[in-house]
Amino acid sequence: MLVATTALLLSFGALVTTYDAAMAVPDWPGTFGHNMFLYPLVEWFWGPWDLFLEHGHRLLGATAGMLSLLLAAVTFRKGASPAVRWLVVAAVVLVVVQGALGGLRVILDDKTVAKVHACTGPLFFAVATAIAVLSGRRGRGDLSAPATEQRSNAVGQEALVAVGPVHLPLPSWALGASLPTALAVAAYLQLVAGAQLRHADATLAPSTFRWMVAIHLAGAAAVTVLSALTVIAWQPHESRVARRWSLAIMAMVMGQLLLGGGAWLFTWGIPSWLQDAWAPAEAVLARSPRGAAVITGHVILGMMILGAAVVLALEWGGADRLERIARFGRQGLRRPDGTEARLLPATAAVQPRSERGAR
Amino acid sequence: MNTTTSADIRHTEGQRPAWSVKIVLALLVVLGGTGCGATPPAWFRLNMVEATKQKLTSDQERQVATLLAAMFGTPDDPVALPETGLDEAKLRLAAGPVRSDIVGRKNGLYREHCAHCHGVTGDALGPTAAFLNPYPRDYRPGIYKFKSTERADKPTHADMTRILKNGIPGTSMPSFALLSETQIDALVEYVKYLSIRGETELGLIRAYFELDDDAEGKLPETREFLVGEVLEPVAEKWKTAADALIPVPEMPADIDMVASIAKGRELFYGDKANCVKCHGPTAMGDGQANDYDDWNKTIVEWTKEVVGTDDKQWASRAHRVLDGDSLEPRTIPPRNLRRGIYRGGRRPLDLYYRIHAGINGAPMPAAKGTVPPEDIWHIVNYVQSLPYELDGELGADRPMVARDRF
Repeated sequence: MLVATTALLLSFGALVTTYDAAMAVPDWPGTFGHNMFLYPLVEWFWGPWDLFLEHGHRLLGATAGMLSLLLAAVTFRKGASPAVRWLVVAAVVLVVVQGALGGLRVILDDKTVAKVHACTGPLFFAVATAIAVLSGRRGRGDLSAPATEQRSNAVGQEALVAVGPVHLPLPSWALGASLPTALAVAAYLQLVAGAQLRHADATLAPSTFRWMVAIHLAGAAAVTVLSALTVIAWQPHESRVARRWSLAIMAMVMGQLLLGGGAWLFTWGIPSWLQDAWAPAEAVLARSPRGAAVITGHVILGMMILGAAVVLALEWGGADRLERIARFGRQGLRRPDGTEARLLPATAAVQPRSERGAR
Repeated sequence: MNTTTSADIRHTEGQRPAWSVKIVLALLVVLGGTGCGATPPAWFRLNMVEATKQKLTSDQERQVATLLAAMFGTPDDPVALPETGLDEAKLRLAAGPVRSDIVGRKNGLYREHCAHCHGVTGDALGPTAAFLNPYPRDYRPGIYKFKSTERADKPTHADMTRILKNGIPGTSMPSFALLSETQIDALVEYVKYLSIRGETELGLIRAYFELDDDAEGKLPETREFLVGEVLEPVAEKWKTAADALIPVPEMPADIDMVASIAKGRELFYGDKANCVKCHGPTAMGDGQANDYDDWNKTIVEWTKEVVGTDDKQWASRAHRVLDGDSLEPRTIPPRNLRRGIYRGGRRPLDLYYRIHAGINGAPMPAAKGTVPPEDIWHIVNYVQSLPYELDGELGADRPMVARDRF
């Protein structure tokens, strides 16, 4: 529920930026002098579009904040794994900071704060997604193995034999487990770079802006390459769901490239090198619903890629690593004989220990 | 819609919970500590190309900036002297940062819709400017291409409104047809304000050239000089723009279109109109294509001057200005008339204006004086037929739209 609320919250936030509606309500934390929650629904729904977006964004933000607090209470009351606990703490801190940043953006009417606000949002979404993934694994009673499928191929079985009965499985696709993590980081950095472009101040020099666009385009190339490598690395994976998930990310990245091109067209028109080939006889319509949908969709799809990469990284490989980090290495890495277990390279894991010892 | 007053808001702000203030302060400290300073208030950039070209000293540059601030205010707080003929209420709707007022009316329209390309100063140096081809318009010289007035005259309010509503096809200038009449009206007023400000700035910079020796390099700061001699001549041209409308004879209702197009074709390739010189024998813009428009020509010619000078210190300063305050000059290719894209408007009347007065700021010359008014209609008819022209010489043997053929 938190992930869904956050997704809607971020979509509203993206629309607020697209329509430059951040200052549609000049006061904070109230709305035109009213308590935020008591602002008349009729005025919200039937008022100006800018007001609908900004006030809706605030209500969703408050909902996400309350859900985070509720989640924290439940998590610490019912007990959860250390990783989930840490993530919930991070979520609460982030949601409070994010709310304050939103308020600061309005009170100071400052673009720098808006940029930071736009960077914290996707981070909170990633954390919320991670909590959902890890909680889901725990709910299924599956803390140490891939959640959806039993290992069935020979490589996987041998890998388990190799490390013995430890809390962590040894992924035979070690490289593949790191790739979605890198992809998630790259997708997040792309959202950060995109936020700098969307919130660029009008006094910025063209040369600086050109560099910012170049960085965003380089980031797009990096995300594309990483998603392609992820697909390649995950195709031998025994889980069909995992394989399809990686393909879905690749498809989303392709869609994102198209939306990025569309955002360019709706913002700057046909690039000069294309104008000789084709140019419309009519000018682009500024602030058209179609243009807003493409530009905002570019932000939302970027967020979805980030969420999907987090799921892939945690659900099939990275969750145990995260649990280990959360326990500061104190638990979960000890074999029954007290020796330290560590992740071995995939190639080393193929051979059972007894065979390796015999050589 | 809202009965809440600003006093209510102030009252509510006074009751804001202490925790929110604390968090806000803590964040300020964090942001400050990480080097993320608050966005500085918007400011008008000085016309450094002209100032450096005229070899102004830094004191003189400061004087120009101060005088302009006194006469025109700042981007957040514009001032319209009565002599400008501008409506300050409209300017205030368009100026400043983007925000809604107490009744939910959007302010800061220029920065929301225009400044990212045209720049806060209207100097065509907005962040996105380098990506646009053609570059966005620099309002400061007060030169506008698409209008219903004679070549050297200013556009009318209606001309600028039409451009905002229709956009400029074939360029990055979009149509703002979804904005309200009031918003478009405010934006047009603000663009005029930036133009009058820019031309006044040019007037002030060039006035240093005519100073007497006893002026000690300082412009007189009297109302008589600043408003009477510099501002009013500029503003007067804008106020009288509607008096300079191009007279357009009626096109005969019973005109023989085939004969008119043939006559227009003859004029197009003839010596009088000589359209073929630039638009080329195929009318696809394959004639002379190495010329610049006035905005780019200024930079090209000044660059030549800088390269050829012996004053190394000035040249070094000029190079810095060229790097930071101008974009790489681009040539202006003549239009391909077979594509059916008309930047200044697709109405026959728009084409008549273009041919009659030429295009101010561009190499397109005026036919006025060389081609009789009624013959201009023939050229208009021929130009409008070009995207559909049947022409065996071009390798086409059947009529089809230009975009399919070319």
